[in-house]
Amino acid sequence: MVLEIRNVSKNFGGIHALKDVSFKIQEGEIYGLIGPNGAGKTTMFNLITNIFEPTSGQILFHDTNITGLKSHKITEQGICRTYQNIRLFSQMSALKNVMVGGHCRSSSGVFSSVFRTKKQKSEERGLTQKAEELLDLVGLLEHKDTLAENLAYGQQRRLEIARALASNPKLLLLDEPAAGMNENETDSLYDLIKLIQSKGVTVLIIEHDMPLVMKLCDRITVLNFGEKLAEGTPYEIQNNESVIEAYLGREEDVEIA
Amino acid sequence: MLADFINPYHLQIASFILINILLAISVYVPLSSGQLSLGSAGFMGVGAYTSALLTIHFDLPIFVGVLVGAAVAGCLGIIIGIPSLRLSGVYLAIATLGLGEVIRVIFVNWESLTKGSIGLTGIPQMGRELLKLARNVGIEPAMFGLRNNQFVYLMVFVILLILVIGTIWFVFRQQNSRIGRSFSSIQMDEKAAESMGINITYFKVLSFSQGAFLAGLAGALFAHVMGYISPSDFSYHRAVEILIFTVFGGSEVIIGSIFGAIFLTLIPEVLRFVSEYRYIIYGIMLVILMAVRPQGILDIHLLSKFKRLKRSKGGVR
Ligand SMILES: Nc1ncnc2c1ncn2[C@@H]1O[C@H](COP(=O)(O)OP(=O)(O)OP(=O)(O)O)[C@@H](O)[C@H]1O
Ligand SMILES: [Mg+2]
Repeated sequence: MVLEIRNVSKNFGGIHALKDVSFKIQEGEIYGLIGPNGAGKTTMFNLITNIFEPTSGQILFHDTNITGLKSHKITEQGICRTYQNIRLFSQMSALKNVMVGGHCRSSSGVFSSVFRTKKQKSEERGLTQKAEELLDLVGLLEHKDTLAENLAYGQQRRLEIARALASNPKLLLLDEPAAGMNENETDSLYDLIKLIQSKGVTVLIIEHDMPLVMKLCDRITVLNFGEKLAEGTPYEIQNNESVIEAYLGREEDVEIA
Repeated sequence: MLADFINPYHLQIASFILINILLAISVYVPLSSGQLSLGSAGFMGVGAYTSALLTIHFDLPIFVGVLVGAAVAGCLGIIIGIPSLRLSGVYLAIATLGLGEVIRVIFVNWESLTKGSIGLTGIPQMGRELLKLARNVGIEPAMFGLRNNQFVYLMVFVILLILVIGTIWFVFRQQNSRIGRSFSSIQMDEKAAESMGINITYFKVLSFSQGAFLAGLAGALFAHVMGYISPSDFSYHRAVEILIFTVFGGSEVIIGSIFGAIFLTLIPEVLRFVSEYRYIIYGIMLVILMAVRPQGILDIHLLSKFKRLKRSKGGVR
């Protein structure tokens, strides 16, 4: 089991953003988390990466309890994420953004950084090389010196994925990676995520683009008003009465909004 | 002859410029990780008083006093930096300004140690000590055709210059490394930086205390250049003055702080002929700059434009 969500709840004041949600993600899966706006999907990511602590319940990563571990420690353990509302380091070049992603897989301190020790130099070379490989993977190598804020929207989304991959995650959390992408971009995103999976990374993805989700995911959990509505394969989810009623059936409304 | 070019008055101004560059960098470094600290005057005072008292009462060599002074300020930076993590932006600025005032008030009131608002006099002067040292090994200023006071001011200037170059080199190297990337990622988006595995507590306290260390270093040097210090040297006027160096020159790049410190230390001297009016001119200049160029004179875009210009000129040839 890569990730186990065990009876997790989260209250914000009076709002029950998540109510007693449980699910398990297996090694190598692409796992979907879907549901209407405000269902609590992003909140689940925020709990997994401990931006907030859950009100109750536990989160287990490779069978160890990581609930309450500091965010940066969780990244060190091997979970890294992207954000729904892109959060790149906007004044840094694309290359540097990805190099920051490699932070927890490097160790140079003040002394070795200032005096440029042999180890530091080879570490920097390694970081740069890996960042370039990842930029190539997401198709941004030619933009490596461009400031993140000057990239197009779809490029920024892909840069966020490259940055997250630089931390060598075992579990990658993607929050609506296809949002704002056109059809071509979405297609290449599909290929990219499949490629990431083939490299042995487990993926948990939040996405509103239903064709993409159904094509991509091995299993899916549906959230509605903070509660787990259903879990299953894309086929099971598409034919689940309560899911159709609460979410899929209303897809046209969602598109208008 | 060398002696004709060396004007003690000019050298003293140059020395103040160098100390001010250190102070400006002491604001720049915490700012590079997104922390606006106005505590530099306070930390400067801590460095100055520590070194002055150690050299006066325990006869320690000046360089030991200066190192200990800077280290004490740096440690105080760690102690203050940790609770300050909860604060950001203007709140941190106000809190650190308050801290500086607390430190000043302690200097005023701890009379048995600090002589209160009169301040400390008879602090060993760097230049004189260096002259003594030189004479001990048989070097006389006259051997270079210099008068004693020329030699003294020149030596002070050279020592400060070495320290400033060393500091700039340090900050510059650090900036282009894993440490510097962590600082700027925290400055740009603290939450995202943490999600990328950066221990923001560590790096924020690190940059804050590096700033405190530099301010303490500058303060200790100031004490041994002047020979006397009083609490009013480290009041909030000083804190604001230091902040202005960095903001005026451009707070995004280290060269901005350096430029700001040089320019704003020189301006009142250059404008000496208009005497009373010079601070009015100084003030008006700041107002205009902030209205026209809020990011300061130098920024990344301007620097890369310079670079491109240089490159294209080289290419034509
Ligand atoms: N920091 C917070 N403070 C208070 N309420 C919050 C906070 N974060 C989320 N919420 C609330 O929790 C609920 C779930 O929000 P969440 O962002 O998890 O939804 P979502 O499923 O990601 O929706 P969307 O599809 O629009 O991204 C919403 O009602 C939201 O207002
Ligand atoms: Mg969301």
